[in-house]
Amino acid sequence: MTDTIVVDELSKWFGPKVAVSEVTIGFGPGVTGLLGPNGAGKTTLMRVIAGLQKPSQGAVSILGQDPRAHPAIYQKVALVPEDEAVYERLTARRFVELAARLAKVDDPRGRAQRTLETVDLTGPADRRLGGFSKGMRQRAKVAAALVSDPDVLLLDEPLNGADPVQRAHLISLFKELGSAGRTLVVSSHVLAEVERMTERVVAMVDGRLAAVGSVADIRSAMTDRPRLVFVESTDNRRLAAELMTTEGVIGIHIEPGRLRVEASDAGDLAKRLPGIAIGAGVGVSRVEPADESLESVFRYLVEGGE
Amino acid sequence: MTLAVHLYRRIMRRGRLIGLIALSSVPALAFWLSAYDSAPDEATLLYSDILARLGFSYAIAVLILTVAILREERDAGTLPYIYMRPIGREAMAASSIAAGVAAALTLALAAWLVSVLAVLAVGAPADTSLTGLTQYLAAGIGYAAVFVPLGYLVPRSILVGLGYIIVVESILAEVVTGLAQISIWRIALSISADIGANENPGEMLGAITPGTGGGIAKLAVILVLGFGALTWALRRRDAL
Repeated sequence: MTDTIVVDELSKWFGPKVAVSEVTIGFGPGVTGLLGPNGAGKTTLMRVIAGLQKPSQGAVSILGQDPRAHPAIYQKVALVPEDEAVYERLTARRFVELAARLAKVDDPRGRAQRTLETVDLTGPADRRLGGFSKGMRQRAKVAAALVSDPDVLLLDEPLNGADPVQRAHLISLFKELGSAGRTLVVSSHVLAEVERMTERVVAMVDGRLAAVGSVADIRSAMTDRPRLVFVESTDNRRLAAELMTTEGVIGIHIEPGRLRVEASDAGDLAKRLPGIAIGAGVGVSRVEPADESLESVFRYLVEGGE
Repeated sequence: MTLAVHLYRRIMRRGRLIGLIALSSVPALAFWLSAYDSAPDEATLLYSDILARLGFSYAIAVLILTVAILREERDAGTLPYIYMRPIGREAMAASSIAAGVAAALTLALAAWLVSVLAVLAVGAPADTSLTGLTQYLAAGIGYAAVFVPLGYLVPRSILVGLGYIIVVESILAEVVTGLAQISIWRIALSISADIGANENPGEMLGAITPGTGGGIAKLAVILVLGFGALTWALRRRDAL
């Protein structure tokens, strides 16, 4: 699949501080999660992709064009910025209408109304944004971005401040847009949210790309990290003693009610565990991988980058 | 047009506007206090003289108002909402300067209306205040063309702008003829003097010959330079 956004050898520095360093990556249709701890360079990368900041080195193209040189591309590209900033004195409706007029869309008023409906903001649409909660502002910003019906949507921490119902609604909206073939890049430091939106993630640590791909692929590629598996059995101590001599088992921790097993290959352990348990006369009630979640993978990436 | 209207509305906040109209009205207040007991002819001369000397308060008011056009968007974090739209950078620069000029002219009209009240209060001829109108309108265009790009390009733009008004326009241009030729206030004064609205341009005009054509040409050059600088900055500099 052709990448809609192409980032080539991109670096961005501010004086002596390097915010993004030699990043090369492509984003195609669908939702991609951009992950990283605070200060990892996510927002800077978003801003450079959006054309708000000039690359210090390297290049960015969206739909084959450099956004800084071709502002017409903004007909198809929109950003939901991280800041809470909105025009406090405008109503949500006026704000979205202004975005529609600046984007030169047909029937800006009707389009604004439909977009406000999409983000479930029609009720308070005629109230000033200054009186909105953080979550409502986020939805107004998303509406302003969506009003031009963009093919590429850059969302910087779009769920900040949204309540659980709003989050679920926005996540479902983003997934729907991604499924419809639009390119969405969603930055977040809340891993559970990203996990609910997409499988494909881009992780950044200290301004560099730490990993790209699905969570499972990234975890599989971390061969230097033992796989953690929780095992619950009828006799954890006896099973631990048997596992100690098993090839591929690196370490065992006896925890209350379960064993935490570190193995070089979790799949191999899962295959061999029933035989070992039968041999030891122990019944196994539960086997659960402990570090294949996005959070575990991300923690490894961050620790590895330090 | 949408962008220019948006930028204009955004900076024209009631509280700010009242304060800046008050600042622009300093010459009118000074005139009212000085010409209270003057004869009509004397009051007319006094008006022109006070306007030429104290009219810089209007320049400062225009500075405060127009540097905010894009700077406020950037400081507030709302610039992406206008920058990331399919608007050519030339059009964006032109809209910003147009909004700045409109804001400066609004201030000019308000300051002039206050001066009309002062003129009527002291019993001077009603056409006395025409000097102020011409002067403010011409100066407003020139200052907006300089201060809108300044606000986007320079972090402490009000301080830099004040330095320009005080040091360059009011001190150096007084003694350096070359600078006087490009001083916006004096360009406006020369237009006002030439079209007869100001029959007493006073010492401030110095060696400059009053001329409407020359003055308008200089203002046009200032507008083009301001537009060019802002277009360059919007294309080349980081927007955030």
